[in-house]
Amino acid sequence: MAGTAMDSYFDGLEFSTFYVGGALCGINILNIQEINKHFEITQVPQAPDYIQGILNLRGRIVTIIDLGKKLGLAPVKQTKDNRNIIVSSEDEHIGLLVDAISDVVRAGNTDIEPVPSNIGGVNRKYFQGVLKTEKRLIGILDIDEVLKE
Amino acid sequence: MFDDDETLQMYIEESLDHLADIESDLLAIEESGESINLDLVNTVFRAAHSIKGGAGFMGLTTIKDLAHHLENVLGLIRNKSLTPDSNRINVLLEGFDTLETLIKNIKTSNDMDVSDHISALEAITNTSLPLDNPAGVTEFVDIVLTDGRVFPQVSAVDIQDPVSEGKNLFLVEYDLIQDIQEKGKNPLNILNTLEKTGTIIESRIDFDAVGTLSDGPVACRIPFQVVFASILEYDMTETLFDIEKRYIHAISEDMIVSAKGPDMDPLPGAMPSPKEPAPLLAAEDLSAPPPSSKTGSEVKLAKPPSSLRVNVGLLDTLMNLAGELVLSRNQLLQGISASNLKATELSSQRIDMITSELQEAIMRTRMQPISNILNKFTRVVRDLSHQLGKSINLVIEGKEVELDKKILESISDPLTHLVRNAVDHGIETPMEREQMGKNGTGKIILRAFHEAGQVNIVISDDGKGLDPNKIATAAIDKGLITAQQAAGLSDKQKIELIFMPGFSTAKQITDVSGRGVGMDVVTTNIESLGGIIDVTSIYGEGTDIQIKLPLTLAIIPSQITAVGNERYAVPQVNLNELLRIPAAQIKEKIETVGNADVVRLRGELLPLLDLSAILGIKKTYDSPENDEPLPDRRQRIADRRSRQHTITPEGMIRETAVEKKATQKRRATDRRYHAKSAINIAVVSAGTFKYGLIVDQLYDSEEIVVKPVGRHLKKCTAYAGATIMGDGKVALILDISNLAQMADLAAISTAGQMTRAAEQAAEASKDKAALLIFKNSETEYFAAPLNIVQRIERIQTTDIEQFGNRKVVQYRGKALPLYELSQVADFSPLPRKDQQEVIVFKIKGRELGLMITPPVDALEVTLDIDENTLKQSIISGSIIINGHITLLVDIFEMVKMLNPEWFKDEGKTDKNHQKAPEFDPVTAPVYP
Repeated sequence: MAGTAMDSYFDGLEFSTFYVGGALCGINILNIQEINKHFEITQVPQAPDYIQGILNLRGRIVTIIDLGKKLGLAPVKQTKDNRNIIVSSEDEHIGLLVDAISDVVRAGNTDIEPVPSNIGGVNRKYFQGVLKTEKRLIGILDIDEVLKE
Repeated sequence: MFDDDETLQMYIEESLDHLADIESDLLAIEESGESINLDLVNTVFRAAHSIKGGAGFMGLTTIKDLAHHLENVLGLIRNKSLTPDSNRINVLLEGFDTLETLIKNIKTSNDMDVSDHISALEAITNTSLPLDNPAGVTEFVDIVLTDGRVFPQVSAVDIQDPVSEGKNLFLVEYDLIQDIQEKGKNPLNILNTLEKTGTIIESRIDFDAVGTLSDGPVACRIPFQVVFASILEYDMTETLFDIEKRYIHAISEDMIVSAKGPDMDPLPGAMPSPKEPAPLLAAEDLSAPPPSSKTGSEVKLAKPPSSLRVNVGLLDTLMNLAGELVLSRNQLLQGISASNLKATELSSQRIDMITSELQEAIMRTRMQPISNILNKFTRVVRDLSHQLGKSINLVIEGKEVELDKKILESISDPLTHLVRNAVDHGIETPMEREQMGKNGTGKIILRAFHEAGQVNIVISDDGKGLDPNKIATAAIDKGLITAQQAAGLSDKQKIELIFMPGFSTAKQITDVSGRGVGMDVVTTNIESLGGIIDVTSIYGEGTDIQIKLPLTLAIIPSQITAVGNERYAVPQVNLNELLRIPAAQIKEKIETVGNADVVRLRGELLPLLDLSAILGIKKTYDSPENDEPLPDRRQRIADRRSRQHTITPEGMIRETAVEKKATQKRRATDRRYHAKSAINIAVVSAGTFKYGLIVDQLYDSEEIVVKPVGRHLKKCTAYAGATIMGDGKVALILDISNLAQMADLAAISTAGQMTRAAEQAAEASKDKAALLIFKNSETEYFAAPLNIVQRIERIQTTDIEQFGNRKVVQYRGKALPLYELSQVADFSPLPRKDQQEVIVFKIKGRELGLMITPPVDALEVTLDIDENTLKQSIISGSIIINGHITLLVDIFEMVKMLNPEWFKDEGKTDKNHQKAPEFDPVTAPVYP
C-alpha cells in the first residue's frame, strides 16, 4: 500500500483532489492554473448540457464545465463549497466546476493503478487510473479526455 | 544554410518587399512593349539582384539560381536585346511567383525543383544571344587569385558587363566575426552599402575555410566573400570596405579563367583551391566535408511570426499616449490614497480619453492599405482575360483606403472570386460586345472608399449584367422557390436569389445566367467579417457588387439586449431599427402566418423570431402584482385576437375570422395591457434575411470588445463570440445570420412573402381607391384615378380650335390639348353639345384635357377589378360601380399613344409601366 510519503524531497506526482457527484477525484496539480470561486457565470443557451456557462477571468473568456454532468455523475449542487478548477488546455483556459475541494495528495508514479472495471456508473475513459489512500480511492482524471468536445 | 534567424527573417522581409511591386512593374513593362521604360526595368532588375545577392550569402542555392536567371532575362531587356512581349513577361511573372513561394518557405526552398522555370528562362536568353556565344549567360568562369585560391562558378556575363563598362573588379573577403559582428554590422547592411557604390556580382560564405572543431586550432575567420565591381580604384577601396587591404583582391583579366565545364552544382565544394596553405586561412581544412545543402532540410524551425510595418509617427503617438497613461495612473493612485474624489474623477476622465485614443492608435497600427490586395487583381484580370480571349481594362480606385490586417486577409479570396466572376461571366467577348454596340474592351472598376465609418468596396463591370428572369427560372428549377413565389418578387429580389445557398453550382449557372458561382460562399465570408454584400445589375449593361466592411473586427458597436437574466449583443452593422409594440397594440400589429409571427411594418410583413424560443431560454414575465418573474405560459407572441392567416393545402393564404367572443369578457386589468408586456423588437438584417428579433429588454448601444469563446462552444453557431460588459459579466454576441438559419427563417420569409403576394393580388378587391367617374357617350361609363386629375372644366365648344385632327383650347394663357376616348380606342364619339366638360390631367409636368360627358363624380370605391373581360390597350380593367360596368382608363397609356414623344427620355420608366399593368392609384408611377 503506497502511502503519501511526506519526505522533504519529493519527486513523485501531486494530485489536487476534489469531490464531484459524491466521488473523490484528482487532477495532476501541474495541470491546474488556479482554483477560484467566481460564479458570475453567463449561461450559454444551446451549448452542450455539461457546459455550465462562461466566465470572465481577468479579461479572458473561460468556459465552465459542470464536471459532475460531464463524468455522468450527479450534477454539481450549488453550495458555498463549490469551486472552479481552472485548467489550461490547448492554449485555452477551461474551468471545471466541482462540489468541493479536498487535499493535495502525493503519490509515486507506481502508485497509480489501472481503473477497476466495476467503477460505479462512471465512464471509464475519463480516468487514467485510481490512487488508493488509507481512507479512500481517488479517481485520477485524464484531463485531455475530459476536455474533449 | 545560414542559421541566424534574425538575419534570415530580415532577408525574407526585405525580399518580399522587393517582390511586392514587381508584378505591377512587370505588367507595366509589358504594356510599354518596345518603348522600354528603363527605370522600371532597372527597379525589377535590382530587386532580382538583391534577392540573388542575399541568397548567395545565406546559402539559399535554389533561390539564388532562380533569381540569377530572372536577372539575366531582365538584363537583356534592359540593354534592349530582348523585347518584353507577353510570353516573356509570362515566364518572368511565373518565375517571380515561384521565387516568392521559395522565399516564403525558405527552410525548404533548397529542396524545391525550379528546373522548369530555369529552362524556360534559359530558352529566352539563349534565343536572344549573339550566335557566337550561345551559352553566354549560363557560362561560368572561375577567378584564380594570386595566392592560387579559386573563387569558382561566377557567371561570365556578370563579370564581362562591368569590365566592358570600364569598372574594376574586386574580391573582398570580410570576416563574419571580426569585420561584421564585432563592428556591430550585419551582412545585409554591408551588401546594401556596397550596392550604393558599385555592383555586387557574387557573394558567398566560404564554409570550408571555417573548418571543424576537431581541426585543432580553432578557425578564427569565417570568410564572407564578395565579388564586387566598381569604378573606384584599388587604392580607395580600403576606406570603402572598411577592412584591411590584404583582404581585398583586385581581379585582373588574366585571373578569370573559364570554368571546368558547365557545372551547375551551386556549391561545388567551394574553393577547391590548391593545397598550398593560404597564408590568411590558418585553419583551412580542405578535407572537411563540403557544406551540402542538406542542412537546410534538417533544420526545421517553427514558422517565424509574421511582422507588420508601422509608421514611425504612429509609434511616437503610441509612446506619447503610453506616457500620458502612466501619468494619469499616478494621479489616480494619488487621488485614491488621498481619498480626493475630485482628483479621482478628473484622472478617471483623463484615463477614459487616453484609452480611447490609445485604442484608436493601436487600431491604426493594424491598418493596411487595401492596395495590398487590390493590386494583385491587375494580374488576375490580365491572366484570365488572356485565357478567355477577352479584352478588359481594369481600373483600381482608392488604393490608399486602409483596413484591418485581419479583414484584409479574409476578403482577399471573396474578392478574387468576384473579380474572376466579372471577367469570366460578366464581360463578354470583344465580338459580342461590338455586336451589342459596346466598346470591344470591357471595363472592370474596383473601387474602395470610406463611407459612414465603413469601408466600401465596389466591383463594377460593364458586361452583360444579370437577367432577373433567368435567375428566377434557375431558382425555380433548383426547387429553391416556387413559381408562385417568383411571381411575387421584384427584379431586385430576383437578382438577390444568387446569394441563396444552393443556388450556384458552377456549370449550370454559367449556362443560365452567367453569374453567381459560389456567391453564397462569398456572402458567408463577407458576413462572417461583419460585412454586407449587395448586388445591383442592369441586364445588358453591367453589374455592381457592393461590399461594406467594418474597419476592424476587434471592437464593434453593438446594441445590448436582454432575454431573461442574460444580456446579448447585436452587432450594430446588422441592426436596422428598434421597435416597441405597446401591449395594447399587439393584437393589431402582430399577425400569424401559418406557424410564424409577423409584424406589419410600414406596409411590409416582417417575420418575427423570438430569441428566447430559438435559444430555448425559459421565458418569464414579471407579475404585475409583485414584480416577481413568473414562467410565461404564452406560446405565441401574436395575441389570439390578432389577425390570423392560415395556409391552405393549395398554398393559398386566407385570413381567418378574428376571434371575438372572449375579448369583451376580459378584465380591465388584463396583464397584457401592462407596460411590461410591451414587445421589444430589434429589426435586424443579414444578407437576404431581414427579421425582427424579439427580446425582453433593449439597453444601450455600446462599443464592445470581441473575445473568442472556448472550443466547447464552437458548435453553438448562434454566437459570434463573447464580450465583457462594464460590470465584469460576460455577454454573448449574436450571429444574426446564423440565428435566421437556425429558426429556418427562409420558410417564414417565404410564408410572409406569400402572404404579401396574396395580399397584393387581393389588394385590388380589398383596398379602397379614389376614382373619378365620368361617361364618354351616354351609356359608356369610365373611371380614372383621382390623384392625377388637376381639375374639371366646362368650356364653350366654340372655343375649341382645331388643327388637322388635333384640338386645342386656350386655357390660362396656354394651349391645352384636348382628346377624347374615341381617338385612341374603339368607343363612340362624343355627342355634339354647346358646352364641353373636360377633365384636366397633369402628366409629366404637362396638362392635357380629356373631353367627356357628365355627370362627373368623385367616388371612394372598393377596387374589384376584372382585368380580363374588357381589357384593351388603354383600359386596365373593368369594375362595377353603382350597377354599371365601368372601364378604368389608363391615362398614362393613353397619353403615350397620343404623345409618344413625351415619354422618349423615359424609356425605362416606360417599360416598367408596361410591365405593371395593375391598376394601383397609390403606387402609380410618379413622373417628374
